[in-house]
Formats: sequence, C-alpha cells, structure tokens
Amino acid sequence: MTTRAHIVRPDDMVAYLLADAPAGASIEIAAQTLTARDAIPVFHKIALRDIAAGETLHRGGWPVGRATQDIPAGAHVHVHNLVSAYSTSKETT
Amino acid sequence: MSDTDTFLGYPRSHGRPGIRNHLLVLNCTGLTDATARRVAAALPGAVFAGTMYGMGMVGADAAFHTATLAGMATHPNCGAVVLIGADRTRLEQMIAAVEAADRPFVALGLDDTRHDAQLLSQRAIAEGARLLRDLSGVRPVPCPVSDLFLAFECGLSDPSSGLAANPLLGHVADWLVDAGGSVLVGESIEWLGTEDELANRAATPEVGTAIRRAVQDRLAMANAAGVDLLGTNPNAANIKAGLSTIEEKASGAVLKAGTRPIRSVLAYAAAPAEPGLHFMDAPAYSPESLTGFVASGAQMILFTTGLGNSYCSALAPTLKLTANAATARNLPCQIDFDASAALADRTLEDLAQELVAQINAIASGQYTYGEIMGEGAESISRFGAAI
Repeated sequence: MTTRAHIVRPDDMVAYLLADAPAGASIEIAAQTLTARDAIPVFHKIALRDIAAGETLHRGGWPVGRATQDIPAGAHVHVHNLVSAYSTSKETT
Repeated sequence: MSDTDTFLGYPRSHGRPGIRNHLLVLNCTGLTDATARRVAAALPGAVFAGTMYGMGMVGADAAFHTATLAGMATHPNCGAVVLIGADRTRLEQMIAAVEAADRPFVALGLDDTRHDAQLLSQRAIAEGARLLRDLSGVRPVPCPVSDLFLAFECGLSDPSSGLAANPLLGHVADWLVDAGGSVLVGESIEWLGTEDELANRAATPEVGTAIRRAVQDRLAMANAAGVDLLGTNPNAANIKAGLSTIEEKASGAVLKAGTRPIRSVLAYAAAPAEPGLHFMDAPAYSPESLTGFVASGAQMILFTTGLGNSYCSALAPTLKLTANAATARNLPCQIDFDASAALADRTLEDLAQELVAQINAIASGQYTYGEIMGEGAESISRFGAAI
C-alpha cells in the first residue's frame, strides 16, 4: 500500500503523512518514495533522510527542533527523538 | 472579487460598522452576574458578556479590565447596550464609554433598586425590550470591505493547521490588508522562533523591538514559573496529533499573518490606530485571546483548528475552519469551512477566493455554526491579583 506525505519545501528534512501508515508502508513524497520504518499516524512526521543527533530539523524554512538521537530516513520523528530549542526539561536520549 | 467589495453592515456614528446588530447585556460587576444572565435570557436574541470581578482590582489589572469592558460595550456589533452593575462606580465608567460612542443604552445598578436584584431584572428586561424593538427595525446597508476588521486565532491545532489552514488565512490577511481593511493576530508565545522574520516585516524598528520583547516576556514567564512549554504549548492534544515542539507549532501559526508589514504591537484590548496588519501581545488561550480581539474592535474571528474546537466569541461571529478532512467530516455542525482540499487537489489561492466569499456572506448576516449552536462567550484576562 502507498500513503502520501506532504512536504512544504523541497529542502525540508521531514514530511507530514496524510494518512496512518503501518511500518513497512510505502510513502510517496512528491517525486520521492520512501519506506516507513515505524508505524506513523496521520499528520505525524517522517524523516526524509538520515539525520544525525544534534542536527536542527527544518520545515518550510523554519527550525522545528533538534534531533536527540540519530534518526534514519523513514523513521517517525516526534517528541521521542526531537526536542525544542526552548525546552528546559532534561533530555531523554 | 467585485462581489466581495462590499458587505451588508450596520453603520455606527463612531467607528466601524457592525456585521451584527446585537443588543448586548453587559454585566459590569461580578456581584450581578446571575442577575444580568437572567435579563439576557429573558430577551430573545440578546447577547450576554461581562465580568466575574469588580472591587479590589488595582493597577494594570484594573486598567485592562475596564478597557476590555469598555471595548465590549462599544463593540461595532452591538447596536444597543444594557449595562448592569452592583455599584455606580463601574457603571459610570461604562456609561461614559457608550455615550462617547453615541450608542443607545440603559444602565441599571443595584444601588438604584435598594439592592433588590429581582426589581433590577424586571426594569432591565422592560428597558431591554424597548431597545430590542428599536434594533429589530434596522436593516443593514452596503459597506466597503475596507471597514472589515478580522482577527485570527488557532485552537487545538494539529500539523494540518500549519500546513494549510493557517497559510490559507495568510492569503485572506493579504487580501484584506490590500483592500484597506484591518487584520489582528495574537497569541504572542506562538511568535517564538519566528521573531527575526516578523521583526523584518515590522513597519518601524520600534514595532520590531516590541515583537521580540513580547515573545521574550512570555518565554521568561514560563521559565520563571518553572514550566516547560512542552505539554503546555504544544499541549497534550497537540502532541498526540503530531506537533512536537513550540517552534514547529509557532512557525505554522504565524503563517496566519500573511506577508504584509506589521503596523503595531497592541496591548491587550487596545484598538489599532490605523488599518493594516496588527499584532496583539496577549495570552494564547482562546477565551481570553478572543475577548482581547473583540475589545480591540474586531467584528469577526477566523479560527483554524486541527482536532476541532467549539469555542467562539459571543460578540464576534467566529468562523471555524480546518484542513483536517476527518475533523471536517466528524464535526459538521462546528466547521464552517473545510480547507482539507488544500492538502489534496486545490491551491490555496483557489480556496482563499472561496473563503473570502464565505467571510463576506457571514459579514452580511449568514450565521456561523457557533452562532446557531450558541457557543459564544467572553472571558477577560487578569493581569494581577485583587486586594
């Protein structure tokens, strides 16, 4: 099965799923196709390339947070591996 | 867009025309809340708003509270006002405001009825009935869209808000600013991370400084209270829906403001001095945010949501829109505009034209679902403790 994902700018590091996708699903992002490594709920983010721990992620030209661990392409990106630059809580890595 | 150059409104002798011609029952003191609600309930079509507070408010808190009540008392959408209060002090302040705006009103205080709330209700209902009868004879007339003042809010956002619903409002903001109208955006904590971009669009360096300061003050407030924004903003529902950080939410939220210059950063409840795009430094929680917009004089609220949000202003018709197709499907009596096609096969430009037509229809009298369902309320922010 194929699920579509929405990308704001071509240089974005994440795209947003437009439907729930199970792990292993084929994700279609503009001209690119990627395999979801995790189950990803609708409107949650998928990594479009390998991201290193400490990298700042961008969406639509804006920073949206920093990776707290290495995130492989196709992985679910959310609060378990992304932290706000303004967060005051202890990071769980 | 020639069919959207005008809307049917109610001209006022002072200020912008109304898009409604409400009788407002304004409760001016906390002691009279139940009494004022009884009066409003007895007058079909009357709108209730007011405060649960009164004596002992001091300094900035008292000043903001009075300014907000006065802003509601003289709101463009109110054709006449019944002012109800316990004591003459607060009533006199509101009387001065409605007289300056040349708005028909009656003012009744418990001081006038030997503290008999039933007698006060009886008199207020009789006087209110006369005002309602007068208002019912007035018909709206064509007004230029440059008279429109729209305020934008988002509530219970999910990523679809930042991807489509808020950018759609950005198009509406640019359209109305170019047409000579006014647009207001608040929720200062949701400018976080975008201050540089916003400051670059400020009409003056002072406005740019005010934008940065407003954000830093909110952030300092969270830090001083030991609150991590994660869980507060974004809140638990935002996070479950897929928003991971405040800057992800904020950079989607500010897209509401379009691309035109930012003319001023207004204090809570303050009115803009000129048309164009304005920001209000205010709390993000919708009830207090919307009341700040209303007191500023906004006639209509455009409210984007991801998961659904039933909250509406009592005085300003609140148009709900979402780009989440499931939310639009699941909340047919809440969502006024389904923007989900923006994430499928429609362009934002195309949808913006359709939305502008709906804004015009609502400005001209068509009900929002919130008005039909009676969801409206007003809640004035507090800025300190009372004595």
